Amino acid sequence: MSFAPQALFTNRWLPILLVAPMALLIVIFFYVPIFQAFYWSFFLERPFGGGSLFVGWANFARVLSDPKFWESLQKTLIFMVVGSSLAVLIPLILAVAADRQIRLSYPARNVLVWPKAVAGASIGVVFAFIFNPFVGILAPLNQMFPGLWNPGIDGGDAFVMLIAAHVWGGIPFNFVILLAGLQSIPRTLHQAGAMDGAGPWRRIFDVQLPLVMPQVFLTLVLEFTESVTSAFALVDTMTQGGPGGATSLLVYKIYVDGFNGYDLSGAATQTAALMVFVIILTAGQFVFLGRRINYER
Amino acid sequence: MKFSTLAAGMAALMAGAGTAQATDFEFWYGNTGNVEEAILAQCDAYNEAQSDHKVTCVGQGSYEVSMQKAIAAYRSGNAPVLIQFFDAGTLDLMLSDAVVPVQDILPDVDWGNYITGARSYYETHDGRLFSQPYNSSTLLFYTNKTQLEEAGITETPTTWEEVIAAARKLKDAGNSCPFVTDGDTWRVLEQFSARHGLPIATNHNGYDGLDAEYVFNTTFAAQHLANLVEWRNEGLVKLNADTAAGNYTAAFNAGECAMMEGSSGSYAASAAAFEGKYEITVGMAPMYEDYERHNTLVGGASIYVMKGHSDAEVEAAKTFLDFLRQPQQQMYFTAATGYVPVTNDVMDAITASGEADDAKYATAGIGIESMNQPATADSRGIRLGFYVQFREVFMEETQKAFNGDQTMQVALDNAKARGDELLRRFEQTYQGVTLP
Repeated sequence: MSFAPQALFTNRWLPILLVAPMALLIVIFFYVPIFQAFYWSFFLERPFGGGSLFVGWANFARVLSDPKFWESLQKTLIFMVVGSSLAVLIPLILAVAADRQIRLSYPARNVLVWPKAVAGASIGVVFAFIFNPFVGILAPLNQMFPGLWNPGIDGGDAFVMLIAAHVWGGIPFNFVILLAGLQSIPRTLHQAGAMDGAGPWRRIFDVQLPLVMPQVFLTLVLEFTESVTSAFALVDTMTQGGPGGATSLLVYKIYVDGFNGYDLSGAATQTAALMVFVIILTAGQFVFLGRRINYER
Repeated sequence: MKFSTLAAGMAALMAGAGTAQATDFEFWYGNTGNVEEAILAQCDAYNEAQSDHKVTCVGQGSYEVSMQKAIAAYRSGNAPVLIQFFDAGTLDLMLSDAVVPVQDILPDVDWGNYITGARSYYETHDGRLFSQPYNSSTLLFYTNKTQLEEAGITETPTTWEEVIAAARKLKDAGNSCPFVTDGDTWRVLEQFSARHGLPIATNHNGYDGLDAEYVFNTTFAAQHLANLVEWRNEGLVKLNADTAAGNYTAAFNAGECAMMEGSSGSYAASAAAFEGKYEITVGMAPMYEDYERHNTLVGGASIYVMKGHSDAEVEAAKTFLDFLRQPQQQMYFTAATGYVPVTNDVMDAITASGEADDAKYATAGIGIESMNQPATADSRGIRLGFYVQFREVFMEETQKAFNGDQTMQVALDNAKARGDELLRRFEQTYQGVTLP
């Protein structure tokens, strides 16, 4: 490999200046709030300010001994694992199909990217309508078996609806990354495999999948971390955490506690806990999964 | 926001330069739909009626969002002078040190003019009103008279026993949704407990101190909530998600459901939806036969004056509050929305207008009557901390009971335990603060 010359900029201040606006935004909208959250998690903070009481680790003790927190974390974990896996698996299948030059694969490559332009909240509104028990696509099912499907009453139904919307929203980005990965696999490898008598399925499992693993890993890591926060818009528009708290993912619980309940300290503490959780999870992914992936071709 | 601050700054600058400039001030509210239209109409009317001051009315989309933004704005020194807050936030605001009691800055107003039910919810121990009641509502009982008559029910039910008997008749007549509610804490717990004379928490719902504890899981309210589960299983009572409309008022307005318990504030929308199709009745919320009727609580929202503003702005805001208290303004607001006027002089003015029997004032008389029933120490109001969060907890636990995950008694016990935790934390957060 050859390296590009390092000194692209002759003026040493120019690159710093160019990065400064973005860095400033990240500091203002990410680091400052995060430090504020960590700071508040050691205080009992009055909503309107004026008088905050230092309580040490008491907030953490309260949050960590609250079964609702663990329930919510468990739901977040289930959503993360099931939602992210499906949000990578389905685009992977689509990408393999599109890469195989089957009929319509060319237009499909374009069409499948479109949902990227749809905001999470809009997806939520649309899917809430699609899954409406009275007018949605499952309404006929309800007429045959009354009460079978109602995400407004049944927590399980609501969770399924949430995951379906999340997976749909995750298709375009993962599809693009995975398809790009598949297309960068040299044709000669396919041809060599075919010469050796490997059928299409065999080539998928022995040639394509191992070689696309770096992309699968990338999408999985991004999905895992993103699913923690991106679920917010979906929950907010579709279920508001209900019914009976069945879809109260941690990110939504934090919002409700902090903004609807004025429990700034509790929300801050849970934010800190959630961040630690995501950091551990991502680190774990890199340590256990990342090592096994061969980036050399 | 930035721009308006700038504009306000400019105005202040120009006023300082000696020119007789109007004082601009902001008023934040949370309502939407026809209520928002009525609020904006009042703002316009105020701005047209005088030229000394100018109010800018900013809609925030909901009470909760309005409160969130007010907290953020207050912490950064950008809060509006006037803000509308809803009933559940009363104690949070009283202890916030962010608002000035209206009675302190407007000492000459005849506050005794407000009916007792409205005063007791918003006043301090020594009887000073903390906020000016604005869009006041109370719980009422609505029926679709046309559908009830089709099912052979000629008399509007007034007790739960009659409501359920009527619901059975409606169901037998093929009605798929006899009675609808959303199971909201305000409707099924607060208003129910108040009018049946039952406490929600000790210390008279927190009026006597921050060390209150929830008791609703041991009162007759627990039995009522268990009944609701039974009735829902029987197909007599429906919740939001059981209706095709997806929302109880929408379901009632569309004729999907025949009876509902709802805020007086939704009357105008229902009456408009029924126009030419059905006949509507509105009455006091149903009682259990063995219980004596007490007052229902004032709901809706009131207007608070926030700290941190110049005298000129506060003076201007006071004139707006005076404007809103005028009987003709309150009458306009009642007619446009169904919210209940809560001052005695407005009731007199309605009577004097000769339109007292007009449909547009239908909720006024009944609402006042309902709030003027004999009071108990437990029907004054609710003065419990982090109460907004408690409402969420209550909804979450009871929803689990409605969908069969747990019994209603377990749900209520859980809600009490979680609610008590909130109260203890509130007590700790406001250590050393005495209840005003």
